[in-house]
Amino acid sequence: MKLVAKRVEKDGSGRITVRPEDDEDMWHLYNLIQAGDRVRAAGIRRVQNVSTTGSVDSRRIRLHLTLAVTRVTWAPSAAPGAESGTTSGAPNAAPAATAMVEVSGRVAEENQHVKLGAFHTLDIEVNKDVRIEKDEGGWDSVALGRVEESCVPGRGAEVAAIVCGEGSAIFCLLSEHMTVVLQRLEVPIPRKISTQSSAHEKGLSRYYQSLYASFLRHVPYSSPALRAIVIASPGWTRDAVFDFIMAEASRTSNKALLTARNKFIKVHVNSPHVHSLVEALKSPEIASQMKETKFAREGIMLDKFFKMLASDEMRAWYGPDHVALASDRGAIGTLMISDELFRSSDPAMRKKFVSIVEDVQQKGGEVLIFSSMHESGQQLNQLTGIAAILTFPLDIEVVEAEEREAKEEAERRKAEAEGTAA
Amino acid sequence: MAGLNLADDTPMEVVPEEPAKPPAAVEKLIEEAKVAIAEQEKSEKRSLSLVVVGHVDAGKSTMMGRLLYELGRVDEKKRIANERGSAKIGKSSFSWAWELDGTQEERERGITMDIALQTLNTPHRIITILDAPGHRDFIPNMISGASQADCALLVVDAAVGEFEAGFERGGQTREHLLLVRSLGVSQVVVAVNKLDQVEWAKSRYDEIVGLLKPFLVQSGFHPSKTKFVPVAAMDGVNLARREPANSMLYKWYKGPTLVDLLDALDAPTRDVNAPVRFPISNVFKGSTSGVSVSGRVCGGIVVAGERLRIIPGDESATVKLIDNDGENLAWAGAGSNVNLTLTGVDPISLNIDSVLCRPGNIVPLTSTFTAKIIVFDIQIPITAGTSIELFHHSRDVPASISRLISVLDRSNGSVVKSKPRVLTKNMSAEVEISLRGSAYSGPASRALPVPLEPFSVNKEMGRILIRRGGETIGAGVVLELLT
Repeated sequence: MKLVAKRVEKDGSGRITVRPEDDEDMWHLYNLIQAGDRVRAAGIRRVQNVSTTGSVDSRRIRLHLTLAVTRVTWAPSAAPGAESGTTSGAPNAAPAATAMVEVSGRVAEENQHVKLGAFHTLDIEVNKDVRIEKDEGGWDSVALGRVEESCVPGRGAEVAAIVCGEGSAIFCLLSEHMTVVLQRLEVPIPRKISTQSSAHEKGLSRYYQSLYASFLRHVPYSSPALRAIVIASPGWTRDAVFDFIMAEASRTSNKALLTARNKFIKVHVNSPHVHSLVEALKSPEIASQMKETKFAREGIMLDKFFKMLASDEMRAWYGPDHVALASDRGAIGTLMISDELFRSSDPAMRKKFVSIVEDVQQKGGEVLIFSSMHESGQQLNQLTGIAAILTFPLDIEVVEAEEREAKEEAERRKAEAEGTAA
Repeated sequence: MAGLNLADDTPMEVVPEEPAKPPAAVEKLIEEAKVAIAEQEKSEKRSLSLVVVGHVDAGKSTMMGRLLYELGRVDEKKRIANERGSAKIGKSSFSWAWELDGTQEERERGITMDIALQTLNTPHRIITILDAPGHRDFIPNMISGASQADCALLVVDAAVGEFEAGFERGGQTREHLLLVRSLGVSQVVVAVNKLDQVEWAKSRYDEIVGLLKPFLVQSGFHPSKTKFVPVAAMDGVNLARREPANSMLYKWYKGPTLVDLLDALDAPTRDVNAPVRFPISNVFKGSTSGVSVSGRVCGGIVVAGERLRIIPGDESATVKLIDNDGENLAWAGAGSNVNLTLTGVDPISLNIDSVLCRPGNIVPLTSTFTAKIIVFDIQIPITAGTSIELFHHSRDVPASISRLISVLDRSNGSVVKSKPRVLTKNMSAEVEISLRGSAYSGPASRALPVPLEPFSVNKEMGRILIRRGGETIGAGVVLELLT
């Protein structure tokens, strides 16, 4: 994403103009734009003119519209690799942006074609400027942090991962903030019946064939942005898959694929499901290569949280209320929070979470904002979306009792005050 | 306006549709089958299924291969062929296992990867053997086999260090025993294998028995239903026949052989009046026309010629043939492991882990349900939102524990604490489990429901296992289907 213009006042109101470039930028925009903002972007609108004779003339006009946002929706890209081959001409280039962000709302600035207050839905387009205008307090530290993060050039290291089991494969593409499931492949393989039957072997070879075909279609192996291709599976399927891909590549003399050989990493995981991705990413083979990427860090931290939960339950807290209590006591060492919480339509809720984040940062704690388009973020979402590792142990029951006392105390005081006043 | 009856709130009377009745011929067959099964239960010769479990390389497949040979199920010609074949690739010690490890990869690696099905004939029992893989990566296959079994045969390696490796934390001896117990198996025969490698030392045998006994009791096996037997599978010692009295083993062992013990296993009573449930464990192209599916009848009676619904899905298929070990049957009662040849169906709608039911009474589909679980010996506690793999028969689906409802007392089931924050090891709890969709957003993020039934309705359809990161973290029974 490119930052075109930025004008934010001290009170957090102001406007920022950006130019999205790929799928991930769309995801950032989806997280930035909130109900109540004003968004100005290019769009197409059908304009009807009724002439004096009563005939209706309808045209599509390309125009810039400013909307007061009521709803933002997100549609993830559908198999980006599939189109890249045909549209860009060069096979196996980096995938084009196909994710969509739709912003609906009422038109906030009138022009000669559209009346004020008319409804419109804008499809945010790639490489077209988008201006986001927020009211006072709208550009909080989290939102500004997100803008900054998304406009850093040269990110976009990507990892392709194939999680496979016998007869199944899931193709995923991981970028900094997103995991896109490109395809799931399932080939029925008859299980072994007797020693004579070759049905199992036939099924297997059919499976390898279709896996290879999908691999060519989906994995942009020759793109320089693609850092690694991870093949993860239980058992020995990953070895067989890798051998088959390489054998096919040399049989069809696919030079590009053969040179990408050292991008492949084989990892053992325990189950052939998408959630094994977290397991794959924290394996030593990958962790050493991907240490600085966001998704690896998230996975490692979440793992640390669960381990802490096992070893020292009083230092691992989760749930918005509990974490808020821990934050009040300045106990948070690492805060993990899902971006889904910031997308909350209730501004008060967002403010509450932002204040927790700022509070932790101020006290020198680490804050990780998980992307819910990653497996680790999904798992955090399941775990109420917010969790923290504390620097010192705190007993929840004790803290809750304290809170209750403080509340009672406050009420008593209030009652007393009222009593004296009366 | 009045004519439209808009104000009329009396609901339209819903006439429940009469469930489709099976045709008369099928009904007659079912009646016949019920009589025959009642008779069979009184007779001497009864059938049961046995899953062979144990740590990797304990010698499960070798023992079964040798046992099949001893009981005359493998002829001399085949034995020689296996011996030659295995010697050729330098794995002659796997020659007996080749009888069960059929696929090329299994033979090359010398490891069982999937369940092998065989039938044994002992004097009083017809035993369906399910030889399970011991390697930890193939536990899903082992679960699929164990959920089809009535009894278990645990094979342990007596060699120094090997037994310990299997019995330690994370060893499969431990995990397999817990798994089979959780899947409803209550009888277990423990074969202490490879005693020839420790010079038939009685002390070693006693040590192993001494270590296993308390664990078996702790896992919920009744002491009277656990039997121990010393064997050496490779040489066939004490499998089917007794050696001369002067051999090393019989100096101190006077008990029964393995086959004697298998012959005395209790066959459970079958529920033939329950609705038909047939979870499919394998789909393959049969020798005749149509598709073959194999599995175990988990309730009721399946008869040849009837039409069964395939759940999930809208398809149905006609049972053309029922065969068990090459023998054609007119019907198959609950508890039998059979192959069904189906016609009038597109093979694409048959999947491993679909369930066949009679059209009038189909198994419900669910994506969220509550379950009562027992947490195993885990290190990382279970929180709300833990990602798990849910196992049910041959099905392995991603799910998450969406809510921790309450912690229960293990002995009497009363609620100890409601809404706990975490579940730690050895707790008993009530939880809500939701299946996970396949994508992070968009339409595919909705989970596809799976066929499940509460435990109170059908025991075999109501047992679940939950695993996380290659470790079984709990087992339980389905209480209530929510959606």
